[in-house]
Amino acid sequence: MFRGAIAIFWRDLLVLRRSLFSELLAVIAYPLTLYLAFGIGLRGYIADVDGVPYALFIAPGLISMTAVSAAFNDSAWSVWFHRRVQRTIEEYRVTPITVYDIVIGKIFSGFAQGTLKGLAVAFVIFILTPFRFPPAHLLAYLFFIFLGSMVFSCVGTICGTMIDKPENIGRVEAVVIVPLIFMSGIFFPLSSYPKAAFAAISILPTTAIFEGARQALLNGKLAPLSIIILLVTAVIAFAAATLTFNRKMSE
Amino acid sequence: MTVALEIDGLAKVYGTLRAVNDFSLRVERGTIFGLLGPNGAGKTTLIRMLTTLIRPSAGSARIEGHSVLTSARTVRSLIGVVPQENNLDRYLTCRENLVLHARMYGMAPTEYNRRIDELLELIGLTGRQHDFPDTFSGGMQRRLVVARALVHTPRVLFLDEPTTGLDPQSRRAVWDYVQSLTPQMTIFLTTHYMDEADALCDRIVIMDHGRALVDGTAAELKERLAHAHMYELEFRSDGERYEKILRELPFVRNLQRTGNSFRLALEGEEFLKPLMDRIGGDDIRKICLKEPSLEDVFIELTGREVRE
Repeated sequence: MFRGAIAIFWRDLLVLRRSLFSELLAVIAYPLTLYLAFGIGLRGYIADVDGVPYALFIAPGLISMTAVSAAFNDSAWSVWFHRRVQRTIEEYRVTPITVYDIVIGKIFSGFAQGTLKGLAVAFVIFILTPFRFPPAHLLAYLFFIFLGSMVFSCVGTICGTMIDKPENIGRVEAVVIVPLIFMSGIFFPLSSYPKAAFAAISILPTTAIFEGARQALLNGKLAPLSIIILLVTAVIAFAAATLTFNRKMSE
Repeated sequence: MTVALEIDGLAKVYGTLRAVNDFSLRVERGTIFGLLGPNGAGKTTLIRMLTTLIRPSAGSARIEGHSVLTSARTVRSLIGVVPQENNLDRYLTCRENLVLHARMYGMAPTEYNRRIDELLELIGLTGRQHDFPDTFSGGMQRRLVVARALVHTPRVLFLDEPTTGLDPQSRRAVWDYVQSLTPQMTIFLTTHYMDEADALCDRIVIMDHGRALVDGTAAELKERLAHAHMYELEFRSDGERYEKILRELPFVRNLQRTGNSFRLALEGEEFLKPLMDRIGGDDIRKICLKEPSLEDVFIELTGREVRE
């Protein structure tokens, strides 16, 4: 069972291992720049958010953002590349593995990449900045990263399956993924939103990821609403990814 | 005969297009079967149905007794597929490509490492096993794709135009290799190289517009045209003028021109004299009766017009 998924996961980790250093270097640069620009640059203007120093407030969100963006990108581009360019998906499909194996393998690869890259950013922020957190909170935080990466990996798989032109993957990222991430309270507290918008923003899965992860890392709290939203979203996203992939393959 | 592959009334319809139409076939175990047809004849669609990549609109097919409709996973465990394109993983080395395939079949490392060593030796890539496929020539990549399809020792091997784009040496190497696989394996080959079908296949079916047109050995198919009176004609000059004349003659068929040389079929022996009367003897350099080739049979059955 799942031997196909394990084989695909093995393949993706093998490829990642070859380019690990350059991948991590590239992925660290963007959130670190944001951290330095906002966390240090705005330090003089924003003292703290709800009693938390601003640099400390944005750090968990930046780490989570790196993880989920990496999960989305890896899944979307990997599925698209294997389907449209290398056509290796066709090779997978003439072996006795199932479509579920392919989707699960790709989702786990996306999740693994997301988690690894998130941890790399966390490590660099930890080394270069005064950002500190109680180590006991790390497990709860990783739980949110796990679910968040899973959701974004599923969404990436759907995009890589449905979208044929590569530039459209970039457009989805610019129009859907980035706004969803930035609207979910990475750089400012959700209380800044008008009341009407607050209700809608609060139930976004991205809010559940970033807000839930921040609460977990800084306060050690597992927000039940965030967990429920994320679990439901993960199940729906997984079902949608499998269904979409299955339908595309039978065309 | 022991049947490796049975197809009964298989059809695939896309909207108004019948890509494969009521196709039936039996292929004997341990033989090389060739499916010939022009572009768009339905060969690849048929292979895609047999390899469980697409579902037929009607009919059934069984590979080694297992239905492609109800036992797709079992069928996939028994077949090897060499697609038209070299769909190798360019981020994995030659050996890793084979290992990934073996893992998908659930083979244990001790089993697949031995098998991969054998295959690499056989295809002459042992020295390049740790290189990436992008650094290989087209022929080497093709051999690797064939080897990949053989890692799990399939009982039926599907080869979809295996030598397209290869130089003559590489084509011969693939032919030798394919021939060495029988009788342990049944081979289902599609090609539009007539010499390839002639050299390799124990049995050939020519298909067009989704249907089988003829079925037999290469010799049997050529025999069908034995009555067709194929001639080779060569003129000293004026090839264009003679082409016009020949095309106007109602008893001339399958006219092919290369410069001042022509290949043509007459509808009957009795038309040789009217032909000579019309073209006269002044410009003729050579005229001879020709044994029909498989290509003549193919052109006779599928026509000369270029397909998209």
